[in-house]
Amino acid sequence: MNTNGSTSEIVRVENVRKIYSDNGVPVDALRGINLTVSPGDFSVIAGPSGSGKTTLLNVIGTLDKPTEGKVFLDGEDVSSKSRRELADIRLRKIGFVFQAYNLNPVLSALENVEFTMMLRGIDAAERKRRGLALLEELGIVELANKRPNEMSGGQQQRVAIARAVSNDPRLVLADEPTANLDSETAVKLLELMERLNHHDGITFVFSSHDPQVIERAHRLLILKDGQIVTDKVNV
Amino acid sequence: MISRIAWRNILRNKRRSFILIISIMIGVIALLLTDAVSIGMMQQMLTNQIGADAGYIQIHKKGYHDDPALKNSIANTAPVRAALTRDGGSTSFSERLRTFGLVSSAYNSSGVSIVGIIPREEERITTVHDYIVKGHYLSNNPGDVIVSTATAEKLKVGLGDKVVIMASRIGGSVGSEACRVVGLFETFDSGFDQTHVYIPLPTAQQMLGAAGRVTEFVVNPVSPKMTDTIAQRLRTGLSPDFEVLTYKEMLPLLVMQIQLYDQTIYIFYAIIAIALIFGIINTMLMAVMERTHEFGVDMAIGMSNRRIFRMILTEAFFLGSIGTIVGLVISFTIYIPLSHTGWNLAMFSESLKSIGAGTIIYPVMKASSLINTVVIIPLAAVAGSVYPAMRATKLQPVEAIRSN
Repeated sequence: MNTNGSTSEIVRVENVRKIYSDNGVPVDALRGINLTVSPGDFSVIAGPSGSGKTTLLNVIGTLDKPTEGKVFLDGEDVSSKSRRELADIRLRKIGFVFQAYNLNPVLSALENVEFTMMLRGIDAAERKRRGLALLEELGIVELANKRPNEMSGGQQQRVAIARAVSNDPRLVLADEPTANLDSETAVKLLELMERLNHHDGITFVFSSHDPQVIERAHRLLILKDGQIVTDKVNV
Repeated sequence: MISRIAWRNILRNKRRSFILIISIMIGVIALLLTDAVSIGMMQQMLTNQIGADAGYIQIHKKGYHDDPALKNSIANTAPVRAALTRDGGSTSFSERLRTFGLVSSAYNSSGVSIVGIIPREEERITTVHDYIVKGHYLSNNPGDVIVSTATAEKLKVGLGDKVVIMASRIGGSVGSEACRVVGLFETFDSGFDQTHVYIPLPTAQQMLGAAGRVTEFVVNPVSPKMTDTIAQRLRTGLSPDFEVLTYKEMLPLLVMQIQLYDQTIYIFYAIIAIALIFGIINTMLMAVMERTHEFGVDMAIGMSNRRIFRMILTEAFFLGSIGTIVGLVISFTIYIPLSHTGWNLAMFSESLKSIGAGTIIYPVMKASSLINTVVIIPLAAVAGSVYPAMRATKLQPVEAIRSN
C-alpha cells in the first residue's frame, strides 16, 4: 500500500460525508461512507430513492466533491484536485453511462464514440477504427451514421456504453442504466456489460434498484439514508 | 471535431441563427455602403474643388497665398513658363489674374471673385466649361463675361445683357469694365457659383492696370499621384520669389475632413461592433442556457473548460463570419452597379450643392474598409461570446446534468 492508497483498489472511499443544502436546510446525503472497489468488480449500489446512490456515484466519479472524507481513484487522492485535473482524470480513467443516455444530439453514433477519443488526443484515423470496432462489438455498427434521435433507447444506450469504454477506462460508472429501457432490452445491455467485464476486465459500478441488474451483481451494496447497510460479495 | 460540433450547433436552432446572421449582415451592409458613399462624397468634393478652380498645383508670387492682393501678382511670368515647359510632368497649365470686386446690373450687385482667364488654356485645366447651361463658354472676345445662373438671377440679367465689373486697380484706383453675358454656368457647388465670374485675361489685366501680370499659374500633373513630386521639382526649379502649393495646402479643410473621416469611421465600426456584441451575448447566453445539460455531460466525460470555451467561441466566430460574408456579397451586389451609375440624390440637391458634392454620388469602397469589416465583425462576434462561454465553464457538472 502506498501513502495515497492501495493500487490494487480502483476506488477507495474514506469516511465520505456529503451535505446538501435544500432551500437552506442541510440534508445529509452521504453519512460516513467507506468503500473499496477492486479491479474487475461488477458491483451494484442499490437502495430506495433518496438513499444517496447517485450522490455516491457522482462523488466516486469526481463529478461532486465530498463535504468530508477522501476519495482515491487508482491510488490517487482526488478530493483536492482542481476542476481541470478532475476533467483529465475523468477523461483517462472513468466512463459514464447515464440513465437518459445523454448522447450529443448533433453527433452520429460513431462521432459520439469518437468524441471522447478526440478529447484524449487520438488521431482521426485511429478514432474511426476503434469507434467502428466498438460499435461492431456492441452490435450496432449499422447505426454508425445515425443521430441519437434516429435510434431507439436501447440503441442509444449501447452507443453510450461504447462511448464510456472507448478510452479504455479503469472504471465505468452506470447510473440507473436500464431505468428507461424495456426488460428485454435491459437484459441484452446487461449481458453486453457483463461480457465487457469478463472479456475486457472493465470494472463496473452501477447504481440501480432494477432486480435484473441486482441479480447480475458480483457485489451488492445497499444504501439507506446515506449509509451502507449491506455489503454482500458473490451474491 | 470541435469545429464540426460548433457548426452543427449553429444549424440546430436555424431560426435563431438565421436572425442573428441577418442582423450581422445588415450591419455589414450598412457599414460598407455608408462608408463607400461617405468616401465617394468626400472624394467628389475634393476632385470637384480641384477640377473647378484650384487645380492640383498652383504657382504664385511668394506671399500671395497669405495675402491674395494684386500687389502680390507675378509681374514677370517668363521664369514660370520656362520652368513649366522644362518639366515634362505637367500635362497643362493655365494663367489667371484673380481679384475681388463687384459685378453689377441695373437691379443689383454682388461681391465676387473676378477671374481673368485664357479660355483655351483653362478648358484643359478646369471643368467650368462643362457646366455651361445657357449660352457658351468664354471666348477671347474682350467684352465677354460668364456668370452663374445664381448670379444672373440675383442681378436679373440674361444672355446678351450687360453687367459692369468693378475692382480696385493695382495702383489703388477703381477699374471697371462693361461686359456682355455670353454664358451661364451652374456647377455642383452653389457657394462657388455665387462667387465667381470669368472674363478674358487681357480684359482683366487692362481693367486692373496689371498688364502682363497674373496672380496664379494652375498646373495639372500627368497623374494626380505625381502632384507632390512635380510640386517639389517646381519648387527646386523656381527661385524663392515664387511659392508652389499643392491642393492639400490650398484646400486644407477638405483634406483634413477626409483625414478626420478616416479616423472617425472607427467610431461607426465601434457602434456596429458593440451592437453586434450585445446581440451575440444574448443569443449565445440563450444557447448556453438551453444546452446546460449537454455541457454537464461534456464535462462529465472529460471535456475541459478550455475546450468548451473554444467551442462556444467557434460557434460565434462562424455566425459572425457567415453574416460578414453574406453582407459582403450583398454589399458588392449593390455597390458595383452604383459605383458606375452613381447614386442620384437629387432630392437632397440643395444640401449637396451647398457642400460642393454634386447630386450624383459615386460610392468608393476602399480595400481598408473591406479588411476592417472582415476582421472587426467576426472578432466582435467572438468577443460577444466570451461572457456566455465563461458562464458555461463555470457550470458545476452535477448541477448541469440535473438541469434537464
